[in-house]
Amino acid sequence: MDCSQFKSDLSAFREGTQPAEMHDLCEQHLSSCRACSRLVSEFDKVDMLIEQVKAAEPNPFAATRILQRLENEVDTPQKRYPVVWVRVLRPAAIAVALLCGILIGSYTAKNDAAPLNQVINTTGNIDFLRSNLFISEFADEDKILVINN
Amino acid sequence: MTDQELIEGILRRDRKAFQYLVNNYQKQVIKTACYFVGNMEDAEDLSQEIFLDIIHSMDSFKKSSSLSTWIYRITVNKSLNMVKRHKRRGMMLRIESLFKTPDGRETGMTPEPHVSPADFEHKEKCELLQAAIGRLPENQRIAFVLNKFDDQTYKQIAEIMKIGLPAVESLIHRAKANMQKHLIIHFSEYQKK
Repeated sequence: MDCSQFKSDLSAFREGTQPAEMHDLCEQHLSSCRACSRLVSEFDKVDMLIEQVKAAEPNPFAATRILQRLENEVDTPQKRYPVVWVRVLRPAAIAVALLCGILIGSYTAKNDAAPLNQVINTTGNIDFLRSNLFISEFADEDKILVINN
Repeated sequence: MTDQELIEGILRRDRKAFQYLVNNYQKQVIKTACYFVGNMEDAEDLSQEIFLDIIHSMDSFKKSSSLSTWIYRITVNKSLNMVKRHKRRGMMLRIESLFKTPDGRETGMTPEPHVSPADFEHKEKCELLQAAIGRLPENQRIAFVLNKFDDQTYKQIAEIMKIGLPAVESLIHRAKANMQKHLIIHFSEYQKK
């Protein structure tokens, strides 16, 4: 028996469900192959670990905490939404809201585009802004421009 | 208290019924959840959600199976949902880990406490086992965990999963083969090092 044959029979060997002849062959291989015997011991360690996990006990106060939560829920019930609302209607409502936002945004951007260009490009509008919005930076920029010139 | 009395008590929101439910099923719920989510703290937190779900959906319990089987079903579903949420969060953590220093720590963080080789090996084995179970397809994972960890019979698993006995046998057989394949690959690589 070689290592690959042993590995393919490993599960049956460990569970003891092989015919006696096959089991003896596996035992013989194990006694001569260090790699396969190490493999078996690693699997034994995994089995031990599973037993340790099974033996772990929950926190003794867990029951009290669960009970407290249940009683709180009965005293002050939180609003529970139906599954259809949570899984279907809520994402749909968010998608519709986003779509509306995008549409409104693009519509207003289109309408604002032309006046904005005019504001930037015409000196008359800059004067209008200067006199009506009281932006001190405009005045400062003018001074800097004069100095640079 | 019989199952019927318990169900009626819960529907009436009777505190004694709640107490009976929690005292009788908390161990089952927490331990099963723990086998799926991989740690006791998360399982205990999740158990609160599970019990809330049980009392809120008690009116939809059809009594086609036993109460215990129905509670198992809720536990498994909730646990798998939590695992999926954690996987998504794990993806974010992996992205965050890209920003860590080469020794695996973030700048300014306190160093890891000293871990003995035995503890390290134990932790490594735990992670390996969890990874091997996590790699199994969902149905195989449920059948394998319920059988190997929770000691449920094939018949009980068939009832919990709402499938036939031959299907359970096949799932567990394939799960064991997949687990073994994964572990053999890992141990072979480990031996080469």
